[in-house]
Amino acid sequence: MMGVLVGKLSEVIEKVVDEPLSYVINWGRLYSLWPVHLETACCSAEFGACHGPRFDAERFGVLEAFGSLRQCDLLIVFGTVTRKMMPRLKLIYDQMPEPKYVIAMGACAIDGGLYFDSYNVLPGIDKIIPVDVYIPGCPPRPEAVVQAIMMLQEKIRRNKAIAIGSWIRKKFLKKG
Amino acid sequence: MAERTLTLSIGPQHPGAGHFRLIVVLDGDIVVDVKPDPGYVHRGAEKMAEYRTYIQNIPHLERPVIIDSSGILFPYVLASEELLDLPPPPRAQYIRIIMAELNRIISHLYWLGIYGVFVGHTTMFLWPVGDRELFIDLAQMIAGARVTFAFFVPGGVRNDIPDDFPDKAIKVCNYYEKRLKEYEKIFFYNPLVLKRTQGVGILKREDAIELGATGPNLRGSGVKSDVRKDEPYSSYDDIDFEIPVYKDGDCWSRCMVRLGELYQSMNIIKQAIKKMPSGPVKNAKRGVLKGIEGEAFARTESARGTMAYYIISDGKPYPYRLKLSVPSFRCLSLMKHLLVNQHVADIPAIYWGLDYWPVEADK
Repeated sequence: MMGVLVGKLSEVIEKVVDEPLSYVINWGRLYSLWPVHLETACCSAEFGACHGPRFDAERFGVLEAFGSLRQCDLLIVFGTVTRKMMPRLKLIYDQMPEPKYVIAMGACAIDGGLYFDSYNVLPGIDKIIPVDVYIPGCPPRPEAVVQAIMMLQEKIRRNKAIAIGSWIRKKFLKKG
Repeated sequence: MAERTLTLSIGPQHPGAGHFRLIVVLDGDIVVDVKPDPGYVHRGAEKMAEYRTYIQNIPHLERPVIIDSSGILFPYVLASEELLDLPPPPRAQYIRIIMAELNRIISHLYWLGIYGVFVGHTTMFLWPVGDRELFIDLAQMIAGARVTFAFFVPGGVRNDIPDDFPDKAIKVCNYYEKRLKEYEKIFFYNPLVLKRTQGVGILKREDAIELGATGPNLRGSGVKSDVRKDEPYSSYDDIDFEIPVYKDGDCWSRCMVRLGELYQSMNIIKQAIKKMPSGPVKNAKRGVLKGIEGEAFARTESARGTMAYYIISDGKPYPYRLKLSVPSFRCLSLMKHLLVNQHVADIPAIYWGLDYWPVEADK
């Protein structure tokens, strides 16, 4: 009997509190993505073109990379990460405030790409930091970058920012 | 003295640096000492070239300067042709000139866009980056890619130019020559830009020669030196063009040299289209390409300056040793010379005025 009551209560809370609040919070996060200006390699040239008049990524709600890293929530890794850049990438990721998202741009950021057998290149950045969206290509076209940003926004939209209902279920119902 | 100074690290995570660190020691807002810290993008291109064949080397050797990918590949194909004994047909030489000059324009426009941001002129970011797409479209018509073409191969070029390319190229060049006049009005002779760049970061003629500056940085200091004229390669001697030279050696002169090169590059493209002979575009030799024992050296004028390759071969399908001399690396010695005794606010104008591309310097 208790279980049914708690279950109903959590469902109501989910509908009344969680979903609207999550919607508002996600809406705020969606269209104000600020990338950190960390150029790790040559893909940054194509990211520059992506903000030019032809592709204009800003209309999708991502700004040019000219912000302070303490205000940024998006880290785009532009290609190759070398052994000298690796500790800095980790440091920069750790300094960013939550919530933070990572896009791995280019084949080099995914698995080393063209430089898979080079002595100074890290084979894939997902060994150091978690990655949300991968963009293949060497370098990816600006259209692919814009698509990756839209995929990331879709991911943020599905995110449950507030989850009191499921927390109640987990706390009070043993069976889930 | 020690407690008066402040050590500042510009980069690698900094809007004004990017894959590069500049350790600056300041006294007030005057720069006392500068230590450039390159090597964030060192990917071992020279070592990798030793275990790849002459053809396999093409894609990874153009990655260091992604915005001037034909410029860095040009001397490589010239040097490896010497070793592989694959002379290119005359039509291929003209197509190479067109491609190299298109790439020079693409590279200079990217530089101009970022320079606009660095001196606080955002319109100059949007205009060149937008107009750059026209030239990227032209290059895409020929080679099929946006920036990394892998178009030059030892013994010619990969494919012939499409039939509708000449008309479109001349149309774009004519449009852009008119457009550049507006650029001059809004940026190059803008009082704000003149204040930021004129008389800032003066590189004297003797210093430029002594410190080994190349390309537009050298020509901005009054030295008339261009590999295309001094040692003409690949049919450049058939084409009539001028080398823009400015005497002052400040940031503005270096800007104006690059502006002049934009005009000249379009002039060269138009002439090359007219003078292009018909015929094959690739040497017909097929099979495993083995270099003859010996060494080869080639240098060309890329967008940033003299690009040179020195290849040693021991008769195997891959080079024994490949040495790549890049123009950006020479900017590091210039930086130390130019930035000392300048204001902090002038660092971006001087730094990007040299057109230093860190990925190229690190190789």
